[in-house]
Amino acid sequence: MEAIARLEAVEKVYRAGEVEVHALRGLSLEIERGAFLSLAGPSGSGKTTLLNLLGALDTPTSGRVEIGGISTEKLGPRTMADFRNSHVGFVFQTFNLIPVLTAAENVAFPLQLLGVTDAGERRRRVESMLDAVGLPGLGDRRPRELSGGQQQRVAVARALVKDPDLVLADEPTANLDSDTAEGIMTLMQDLNHRLGTTFVFSTHDPLVMDHATRLVRLRDGRIESDERRAMEPSHG
Amino acid sequence: MGSLVPGKLGPVLLLRLAVRNLLRNRRRTVLTMITVAFAVFFLHVWNSVLTGLERQSYDNLILYQTAHAKVFHEGWFELRDELPLDRSLDNIDELLMRVTEVPGVAAAVPRIAFQAHLSDGRDQIPVQGLGIETSGSDSDVFRISQAVVEGSYLPPDGYGLLLGSGLARAFDAGPGDWMTVLVRTRTGVWEAQEMEVTGVVLTGNPSIDQNSFLMGLEPARAMLDMDGRATELAIRFAGTVSERSVLERLKEALASDDGLHLAGWREQESEFIALTEVKRGGGLVAMAIFVVVALVGVANTMLLAAFERTQEVGMLLAMGMRAATVRWLFLLEGALTGLGAGALGTLVALGPIFYFAARGIDFSAMFAEDMDIGYPVAGRVFWAVTPAAILVAWLGTAVLAAAATLYAAARASRMKPAEALRHV
Repeated sequence: MEAIARLEAVEKVYRAGEVEVHALRGLSLEIERGAFLSLAGPSGSGKTTLLNLLGALDTPTSGRVEIGGISTEKLGPRTMADFRNSHVGFVFQTFNLIPVLTAAENVAFPLQLLGVTDAGERRRRVESMLDAVGLPGLGDRRPRELSGGQQQRVAVARALVKDPDLVLADEPTANLDSDTAEGIMTLMQDLNHRLGTTFVFSTHDPLVMDHATRLVRLRDGRIESDERRAMEPSHG
Repeated sequence: MGSLVPGKLGPVLLLRLAVRNLLRNRRRTVLTMITVAFAVFFLHVWNSVLTGLERQSYDNLILYQTAHAKVFHEGWFELRDELPLDRSLDNIDELLMRVTEVPGVAAAVPRIAFQAHLSDGRDQIPVQGLGIETSGSDSDVFRISQAVVEGSYLPPDGYGLLLGSGLARAFDAGPGDWMTVLVRTRTGVWEAQEMEVTGVVLTGNPSIDQNSFLMGLEPARAMLDMDGRATELAIRFAGTVSERSVLERLKEALASDDGLHLAGWREQESEFIALTEVKRGGGLVAMAIFVVVALVGVANTMLLAAFERTQEVGMLLAMGMRAATVRWLFLLEGALTGLGAGALGTLVALGPIFYFAARGIDFSAMFAEDMDIGYPVAGRVFWAVTPAAILVAWLGTAVLAAAATLYAAARASRMKPAEALRHV
């Protein structure tokens, strides 16, 4: 299957004063298009660093990171921003919706950043995406008027509305109760099946790991195990 | 509306975001705006008082001292502090005709300005004497006749003295008193003449009130051996014409005569005008410092906002918003704060400005009537404001507020998204 992301011998070293922290140590990984992959591991194992590299939020100290056929390690800040804008969707642990915008405006935001000037097209895509995440009719609500689960659904809709190559979700269930977390994971799995979008999670949550079709465990900046599972139908 | 450039936002969405961000912390935004509005209010008040003072000063100079323009004998203007009689205009009637034929000239009148000593028999003070037409034509150019506060204007034959109010007080003299005028004639001979004080004038112009007396032109000519002569021809322009164009036409009309010097009122009072501009500049700088201090509040508020919204900015950057767009968002929020504060300060200031523009403030109630306050004005001072001043203060506040946000905007836009997202 075609690879959407490819990491080769990636090193990432952070410097905190005189101290060097090796977050990733020669890590190589290939993620196929349409994957539903979970990165697991203890704190400090390199999950978030790896997610940041996959999302072009950071560049490796050495090695090669290729997303959608584009090497990100040589991109400048502006090109990185444009790259994220076009290719990557993010779902955050704390939802990170823009509090002053409505749910629909939040979902439309990436489209506006992408330069979709046709308001009719934006509206159609936003409504379709809000329907897809199970929030029809709630587009006019501000984030504070939505529950945590609903906010995370809006965040998923926002990540998917621009039809990205890759959706990166950093601890997406950490702030949700287990029922809501199950609902969110089922939703993302369903969208993964229906739209073929690639999802990569970083998580400590067994629930997320259970849903993943591929589970990569990290320890001390290296891959400890890479477990592939049979594709299961959506739980929802 | 979206943007055509990826990573940027269209102006409408950017504006909507900025407005809503400001409304997030309504109380903080309003308090910041009030602080700046307070400074803008004082800036407007200060500027209006100065503008009013300047306008009245210039009017006063034109009405009591310089007219719109004067024609002098060549060389007189350079030696004007000495008031030389030997550089006087001789063919007055012909000159008067040439000047009054120029379109835009409403009236012209000859005068003699001369050095004199005035004495009441006990004290003697060096002063400036002015010989003026008493038949009425001086009143076509100047307003001296309306400035008599005690006694009466000069009699038709011109034999009498009008004392400036400060001079009258210095001599403790008034209408009915007799004074001796001691002068040197055009040929350098000492001459003295006793005359009765007919009235006292209060013009608000220190050069008249403190240091001058006026008498008829013909008696002055006789006393100074200035038969048919005058030291100046004062000219008043019609109210509706452009000063500059009339001056140009006058220059053309007088160009054939090398022995004449035409000086508009701005040239005559160039030192005073320069001084008022320095005063205005100094005052405005002081007020601007006040505004800048108030804008530190904007800088603080916006820096706090940038800090509070670190994670949100990280998310915007992660989604692909360009750093420049983040910077614009914060600058816009600062500019909107300035616009709001400028509007508030201006609106509040317009009340007293329009009130005192109509009613004026009576300076004579605060100071002695003819006290020199640095501006030749008397009685009520009327505040004045121009649309340009309002616009400059308003938009200037917005620009300065945006400038005060520069650091916060730069800080926000320089964040690394991965680090900003981890911010708690």
